[in-house]
Amino acid sequence: MTRVIAATVLLLALAAVPYTLGPVAEQPLIGLFSLVALATLWNLLAGFAGLTSFGQQAYLGIGAYALYLLAARGLDPFLGIPLAALVAGAVAVPVSFPVLRLSGGHFAVATWVLAEIFRLAVTLSPALGGNTGVALPGLGGYEPLVRQAVTYWWALGLAACSVLGVWLLARGGFGLRARAVQSDPVAAASSGVRVDRTRRWAYCLAASGTGAVGALLFVYTLYVQPGSIFGVQYSVSMMFMVLIGGIGTIEGPVAGALIFFGLQQALSGYGPWYLVLLGAVAIAVTLFAPRGLWGRLGRPVFPIGYRLE
Amino acid sequence: MLELDRITKRFGRVTVADSLSLAVRPGEAVGVVGPNGAGKTSLFGIISGDLAPDAGEVRFDGRPVTRLDASARCRLGIGRTYQVPRPFEGMTVLENLLVAAEQGAGARGRAGLSLAIRVLAETGLTELADRPAERLGLLHRKRLELARALSTRPKLLLLDEVAGGLTDPEVTELVEIIATARARDGLAVIWIEHVVRALTGTVDRLLCLAAGRIIGDGRPEEVLAAPAVREVFLGTDPR
Ligand SMILES: Nc1ncnc2c1ncn2[C@@H]1O[C@H](COP(=O)(O)OP(=O)(O)OP(=O)(O)O)[C@@H](O)[C@H]1O
Ligand SMILES: [Mg+2]
Repeated sequence: MTRVIAATVLLLALAAVPYTLGPVAEQPLIGLFSLVALATLWNLLAGFAGLTSFGQQAYLGIGAYALYLLAARGLDPFLGIPLAALVAGAVAVPVSFPVLRLSGGHFAVATWVLAEIFRLAVTLSPALGGNTGVALPGLGGYEPLVRQAVTYWWALGLAACSVLGVWLLARGGFGLRARAVQSDPVAAASSGVRVDRTRRWAYCLAASGTGAVGALLFVYTLYVQPGSIFGVQYSVSMMFMVLIGGIGTIEGPVAGALIFFGLQQALSGYGPWYLVLLGAVAIAVTLFAPRGLWGRLGRPVFPIGYRLE
Repeated sequence: MLELDRITKRFGRVTVADSLSLAVRPGEAVGVVGPNGAGKTSLFGIISGDLAPDAGEVRFDGRPVTRLDASARCRLGIGRTYQVPRPFEGMTVLENLLVAAEQGAGARGRAGLSLAIRVLAETGLTELADRPAERLGLLHRKRLELARALSTRPKLLLLDEVAGGLTDPEVTELVEIIATARARDGLAVIWIEHVVRALTGTVDRLLCLAAGRIIGDGRPEEVLAAPAVREVFLGTDPR
């Protein structure tokens, strides 16, 4: 009960930021919230269903470009965010059939290659702006301050829904199935688990959420280029956040996002050293806390297991 | 209830099932013995859907299941254990059983929980319910295999050397667990075991498998006395 109250208070306080701390705080927090959502969704894939993807940027891009197509037809870009999520999820369904035939490293590489194919396809499409990218139409009616505040609320909403959604999934029957599949797909199948279906749901849900974040990033930056939105560095940072925070937990990816965000802010002035430091942190954490920092230091706030007690 | 119709399976030049046919009636308890590498575990794989045969058909409850995957066959009522235990690591004993109860037996929510709790009690694992499966010793891992298979509420239970390495009292306990489950649910059992002593209290029919063929099938004492069977065991008296 105290947890519910604390979470509600935190959410309300964060929702009030546009009125209290104002635009200065909004900008970095939008970045942080998208990281929280991305890490949480990657954890749904890798931490629960055992699918280590290097290609989630495919769905960031699909979400962003879906939003472009919708906005170009006159839809309000903010209302386009959930639709972009649906498009990303819908694209993931047929894609899942070939990629889910693979596992482990093959799956990781296949998803990466797939993201590259999407990037190339966009680069070669004049209707999508090709290599130069496109600007987001349809936001002219918003005051800049209002636009940023609404973007902020969308970012907060996406982060909160991702965390809550993954938690609800993970603590229910889906979480049980997914963890069994991750642990031993053969034994899971002979215990009655529909292994393919379980993986497909995780894949498509993660894709859909990631698509929403892609659309959000587009609304925030107002410009999208295939070279950046389809960049593999997105998947690398998702993995970084989840691994240092604590894979297979609800709190871990959030903690990882906070750490990653802090490092980004503190070290962004140091150029390439920033990457070296990130690498060093990743190595140190995997050596000294293989289950991530939350796995080592934190107590579960969002428990997922079943206990007989 | 289970019919194997001229099943053949080869791994390269090794034949693990050689046009093998077999029928098991509902509620029957069949023991399986045979030398190492005879194809006993492979036979379970073919029945449970882990292994696709090169030729032949598997029928369960009168319908062909050869093309169904392991998950669908489990939901139809085929439960199996693995000779080398394969617990879901990273999950507790209770969670291992819940997966089987919810997915295999289709007992969702409360029903699944009470099924899992009942099986925990029956298999003597209640004390270990909240222990992560990777922290169990071999004895309890084998017990968990049995418990997880029972949690799928099978009509046919495939036991692959669940008694290996147990002491006499532990074997007796195991035989009782299986007898209880059979008495209540009337399930059929196929039980592979090198320790024939564990089988004799349970089974009314014994198969001897060698090189992918059934070389003995009948009452346990008759099968064990047959010259072909004795020859296969080459002095290492199966009794
Ligand atoms: N996946 C596989 N690939 C190749 N060969 C295999 C495979 N599985 C089993 N075999 C071979 O098939 C033969 C039969 O194996 P199986 O495990 O069915 O025997 P078994 O009767 O259960 O023996 P044991 O008493 O040792 O458990 C063995 O020679 C084994 O090496
Ligand atoms: Mg074997």
